[in-house]
Amino acid sequence: MTLTAGCDVGSLTTKAVIMDDKAVKSSALIKSKSNPEASARQAMAEAMEKAGVTESELSNVIGTGYGREKIPFVTDVKSEISCHARGAKWLLPSIKTIIDIGGQDCKIIRIDDQGEVVRFVTNDKCASGTGRFLEVMAKALYMDISELGDLNRKSNSPVTLTSTCTVWAQADIVKFIHSGIPVEDIGAGINLAMAKRVSTLVNSVQPEKEVCMTGGVAKNRGVTSLMEKLLGFRLKPIRRADPQLVGAIGAALFGRNR
Amino acid sequence: MMKQFMQAATGLNHPGITQWKENGGAIVGYSCSYLPAELIHAAGILPIRLRGIETTGMDMGDAYFGPYICSYPKCILQQAAQGGYQMLDGAVITPGCDSMRRLFECWRKAGEDHQGVVPGFFYYFDVPHKTVDHRMKWFVDEIDSIQKAIETHFEVEITVESLHRSIATYNQGRKLMRDLERFRTQLPAPISGTEAFAISIAGTTLPREEFNATLSNFLETLENRSDKNPENPKRLMVIGSISDDLDLIKLIESNEKALVVADNLCFGVRHDAEEIPVTDNPLEALAQSYLGASTCPRMFGQYKERLAILEKKVESYSVDGVILQNIRFCDLHGSENGLFERDLEKQGIPCLKLEREYGPLADTGRLKMRLDAFMERIS
Repeated sequence: MTLTAGCDVGSLTTKAVIMDDKAVKSSALIKSKSNPEASARQAMAEAMEKAGVTESELSNVIGTGYGREKIPFVTDVKSEISCHARGAKWLLPSIKTIIDIGGQDCKIIRIDDQGEVVRFVTNDKCASGTGRFLEVMAKALYMDISELGDLNRKSNSPVTLTSTCTVWAQADIVKFIHSGIPVEDIGAGINLAMAKRVSTLVNSVQPEKEVCMTGGVAKNRGVTSLMEKLLGFRLKPIRRADPQLVGAIGAALFGRNR
Repeated sequence: MMKQFMQAATGLNHPGITQWKENGGAIVGYSCSYLPAELIHAAGILPIRLRGIETTGMDMGDAYFGPYICSYPKCILQQAAQGGYQMLDGAVITPGCDSMRRLFECWRKAGEDHQGVVPGFFYYFDVPHKTVDHRMKWFVDEIDSIQKAIETHFEVEITVESLHRSIATYNQGRKLMRDLERFRTQLPAPISGTEAFAISIAGTTLPREEFNATLSNFLETLENRSDKNPENPKRLMVIGSISDDLDLIKLIESNEKALVVADNLCFGVRHDAEEIPVTDNPLEALAQSYLGASTCPRMFGQYKERLAILEKKVESYSVDGVILQNIRFCDLHGSENGLFERDLEKQGIPCLKLEREYGPLADTGRLKMRLDAFMERIS
């Protein structure tokens, strides 16, 4: 049995996945540190401990994410676009378009029947439409990012954020809080701003179905349901794994083919 | 030789400039490839393209232009304000696009507010947006006017003979650039995209005679050069917004499989296609050559011709992928890149659109991720 690992060092979180020939054996997800190598080592150590394997038992370790060039122990590196495509195709074979919202960027990837990337776009040099946007907004609301997703269901009148700029939006949030607007309406407004921004980007690549979401924001039901409404179609949910691990899974899958 | 090209491509005050000034020569900077540099050369003045490299901040650029505009003219103004253009005796601004047109206004206003920012000769050179007959006549008039202005300000005479000599010198440079390009069409190409781009940028800032002589010698060495490029690289073409960022080409080629073999940039080889005929009416000949070929999206209604130029290059340089870059807020290239992407992808030519800031590559990580993913796509 071949064991491979994928290590995705992102701007906010670092993910590691150990896979055998058939399935994901273990995974780890940690907050990224200031040093990409230290992040990668810690995530890998956690994943290996859970799987009960040592580094020497791994035939290949593939690195991806922004810190990929700084991981010394990998066999090869792949861009996160290719990794998300490979991982999503493995988890959902019918998938044609992948929306990946990471910590500092948002990527829309179109793949062909073989899972090869045919087109992709990423957002501009700006934090809006990224995980960082939600993180900053959650902080301004004094809540955990995981609590944001549920606020849509409780809100009757979501606020409108006048700017998609993270800095200005944060100033808007403070103003709303001071005006006494219920926190669920502010939270729902944040999810709506995010969904609008990402949907615009999705439409620019003329998405083909099925469409799925990967990355941490895929776990925010508030954003995904609003995106379904704005895009006019359902997003296929990833059930076999944590959507945040898809890049690392894709990297581990690339390790199999080496 | 390559060191000389690299110095000229990466530094405003390179040895070619300082030596020219030490010899008492005058220098005129110009903003756009639509200005016939032969005219300045014929006056015995060194024409150099205005560039925004080596800026260390953006306080003056932001103060006069505001934030929502192309960073290229802002960097030129910033450079002028921080003293980088002290060597200039003159500057000629052309409406290559609306942002470049504003450079004239902003630079002039900055000159009113701060002493020594505007050079002694400061000229707005208009260029029509169409090539029809009456526009061509207008363009000839513009060339005639700037000739008279240069003659008056610098107290020189630009004769027909001196224009002929300058046209011949520039033609020689164009021929050498075409020879260089032939090397780049070879499989494998014996020169990297970074080196080739450094040479074409150097051509916009080195004294032309020196550039021609150095390039001629370099081409001889290229004949016998053993292949230094990666084996079976993916051959790329870079097109789009004005760019003299050597670091961008370096960044692309930092991917071990990537080799930039062609470009269609105005600091590159976009304008070196044809020689200018030496005729009795050199101004007319310059006008026809500079305005006649519609290579820049600033020219109205000739998209199909520009697409055809790219298609031809893709074929003759055996291009595997096209990188369409544009500086943020560049309306002309931003929109045309979208059309090019649509039409080239339809023909099965992979394209990568990149929007970026001009200036020191702060965006490196993000750009590299996209470039690597593109290379994985076409590999």
